[in-house]
Amino acid sequence: MNDGPNYLELSRRYGFAAKLESASRLTQLVSRQDADLDEIAKVIDKDPALRARLLRVANPEAENEAEYAVETVEDALMRNGMGCVLVLAMSTPLAQALIKTFQTMLSLKIETVDPRTAAPLAGEQLVCNIDFTGKVVGHVLLRMSAEAGRLIAAGILGLPPKEMQDMNEVRDVAGELLNIMTGNFKSNLCDAGLECKLSPPDVRSMGDFLPPVARAGSVEHMAFHNGNIQIFVDVTANPWSDD
Amino acid sequence: MATKILSVDDSRTIRMIVGRTFKPYDCQICEAGNGEEGLAAAAREKPDLIILDVTMPVMDGVTMLGKLKEDPALKTIPVIMLTAESGRENVLQIAKLGVRDYLVKPFKEEQLIEKAGRIVTLQKKPAA
Repeated sequence: MNDGPNYLELSRRYGFAAKLESASRLTQLVSRQDADLDEIAKVIDKDPALRARLLRVANPEAENEAEYAVETVEDALMRNGMGCVLVLAMSTPLAQALIKTFQTMLSLKIETVDPRTAAPLAGEQLVCNIDFTGKVVGHVLLRMSAEAGRLIAAGILGLPPKEMQDMNEVRDVAGELLNIMTGNFKSNLCDAGLECKLSPPDVRSMGDFLPPVARAGSVEHMAFHNGNIQIFVDVTANPWSDD
Repeated sequence: MATKILSVDDSRTIRMIVGRTFKPYDCQICEAGNGEEGLAAAAREKPDLIILDVTMPVMDGVTMLGKLKEDPALKTIPVIMLTAESGRENVLQIAKLGVRDYLVKPFKEEQLIEKAGRIVTLQKKPAA
């Protein structure tokens, strides 16, 4: 028996933003172990941006579309299975949460850019990691230059950038940024029955750092840009752990 | 008398943002870094409003909310959840425990003021 208000009523009462339909649909489809690849292919084929991202995930070595060995959605799904769809389903709310965080907390519009053509980070970097475990296992890496981290921290805390010299505060802001992003996608996963737990963010200042190389179809690299701020996000995921 | 607000969040960033948000108002802000410290601070400070995160070490926000609502001396303190998580099960459980409102991160400071202002009196400080 359910006496209280339902989730839809509570969403309205609390003023929640609507969840992305395509990401929610994809997460629901991939959460079923008997998921129908044809059905998933139809959802992806309807969305040109999703289709382009899937093919990029399926061809991690390719510098551009002309070098793609996997050229169709069906082929990508057949070769890589559900892992690549899960990565897509997770990356969508992550990217949206990052863009929304910049809009709402920094009044900055950041744009997605092709990570293959984005200038790599040089010098000291902030590398933030959150692991997730449960029915989905993987991690999210957020990377930016230390200078970008300082600018973001100053903006979020409402301080002039030159006053933002405490790297502990910069790291705390970067960790919270990743917390916000992953909290949003965790909600999507849990709503689809893929319960998982998130680790606290681990934020480090590092010299040159190269993102981990994962097998095709299990990692999506994303890049975002605004002026002096360049952010890289790498999502790695594998579904249906026995944990 | 200043409105007393308790911010419970493991992120110093969020506690700083909450502090800055209420700075123009006649408010006294207290802070705690997890649910256990939050319960102790609530008992000690008797705040007019608690702004509470969900995922925290030591004791999470849902557990703290449950314990708060079980305590006859603290159960009437209104709570606004401030969290990035808005999954169905979490929200239903938190609503059932008796949370007053819920704000999903990322958020604008005006949103927090609007929600808090529906629950407690927020008096602007006179211009210096």
